[in-house]
Amino acid sequence: MLCEHYKDALIEAAASGAAPSGELREHLAECASCRAVFGQEQSLFAAIDTGLHAAANAKIPLSLLPRVRARLEEVATPRLGWVQQLVFACTGVVLALVIFLMARPHRAAREELAKQGPVTVPASMPPAKSVNREETSSEGTQIAAIPVNRSHTLRDSTSSPSAASSNPEVLVPPDEREAFARLVGVLNERSDLGASLLAKVPEKEDGLAAVDPLQIPDIEIKPLEGTETETSHGAGEKH
Amino acid sequence: MQELVLNQPVSTARSELVREAAQADARREFEERLAECGQLAFRVARAVLRNTADAEDVAQEALLRAYQSFERLRDRSRFNGWLVRISFRLALDRLRSAKRRDRREALWSQPAHLPPPATVEDVAASKQFQGHLERALEELPEKLRLVLLLSAMEGHTIDEIASMVGVPLGTVKSRIFIARKKLAEKLRCYANTIRTR
Repeated sequence: MLCEHYKDALIEAAASGAAPSGELREHLAECASCRAVFGQEQSLFAAIDTGLHAAANAKIPLSLLPRVRARLEEVATPRLGWVQQLVFACTGVVLALVIFLMARPHRAAREELAKQGPVTVPASMPPAKSVNREETSSEGTQIAAIPVNRSHTLRDSTSSPSAASSNPEVLVPPDEREAFARLVGVLNERSDLGASLLAKVPEKEDGLAAVDPLQIPDIEIKPLEGTETETSHGAGEKH
Repeated sequence: MQELVLNQPVSTARSELVREAAQADARREFEERLAECGQLAFRVARAVLRNTADAEDVAQEALLRAYQSFERLRDRSRFNGWLVRISFRLALDRLRSAKRRDRREALWSQPAHLPPPATVEDVAASKQFQGHLERALEELPEKLRLVLLLSAMEGHTIDEIASMVGVPLGTVKSRIFIARKKLAEKLRCYANTIRTR
């Protein structure tokens, strides 16, 4: 009964691993059976600790870290691929821009091209006021004036917006502009050609097409061949 | 307008590059920790699962998950505790699914072999006692088990365990004490064999 009193304290002392306290120590010194129980408990906890140590400190397999590194590579690869795609896309955009800029005619060449128009205009000709074809009396002069105005607008469009807004701007592809400049050159050389091109073509009166009324002759209905014989034959059969 | 269109991808690409650089730094740091934290993850998983191959799979999974969230972890000093919890949780999930599978298979196959009788004198060191211990460990509540396993692992002080688990130092001590007592209660019936030593 006395030993039962010390049982819990004995187990707790063994569990904590600490030396027994005063009263318990005195009892253990007197009681051989409690000393034996205390020894058992200490052995049990030592065995538990040994088992726990073995369970908790397993040797790490050599294959684990290489496997993890390989998986990390797999995880990281799509990100790098995405960056590469972005780099490729940016490079493509830059290349497209470079090609576009190279394909455009040079600005100086454009200006030179625009200058060609006014040079060919005879000095005696009055300056053009309007581009409207319908109002012009001397068409050749007016046509020659178009590139002059355009060249001004081209120059002025970058420098003064007010000047640009006073003259209507039309975006013309470079090849068309070149063709137009050539046409103006030709027209300046041959004013008669311009006059002939812009001369009013006499309009034809668009009368309604006269349609002669249909003349249908009287239709003569003739009996089909063999009809008479069939009817007579059928009548004969009836009878 | 044209400038805006061109500037937007450039700034996006720059921020992407910054992000990529941060990821590269995080990865470098993670790989530096890999040897240490790989061991930790494996040991936690192994202690729960008692199977090296399964523990290796779980440790790998835990490390990958940890890596994927590593960049977002602001306080890197808490990484070990975080990894321990991931590994422990994954190992428990795997153990439960393995138990369910074993139960299913046992229903169909009805295994006939019984555990061998206790004949070894030094039972504490024997595989049999180890088996009893690990089964008893499995029956412990999770919070006690994790703390007890961490305390049994080499290289972790009680302070470190407290910071890993995120509980006060006194709580860790009391959990270890309670866990050992519970284990002793379960294993006391094998004390006779220990006494023969």
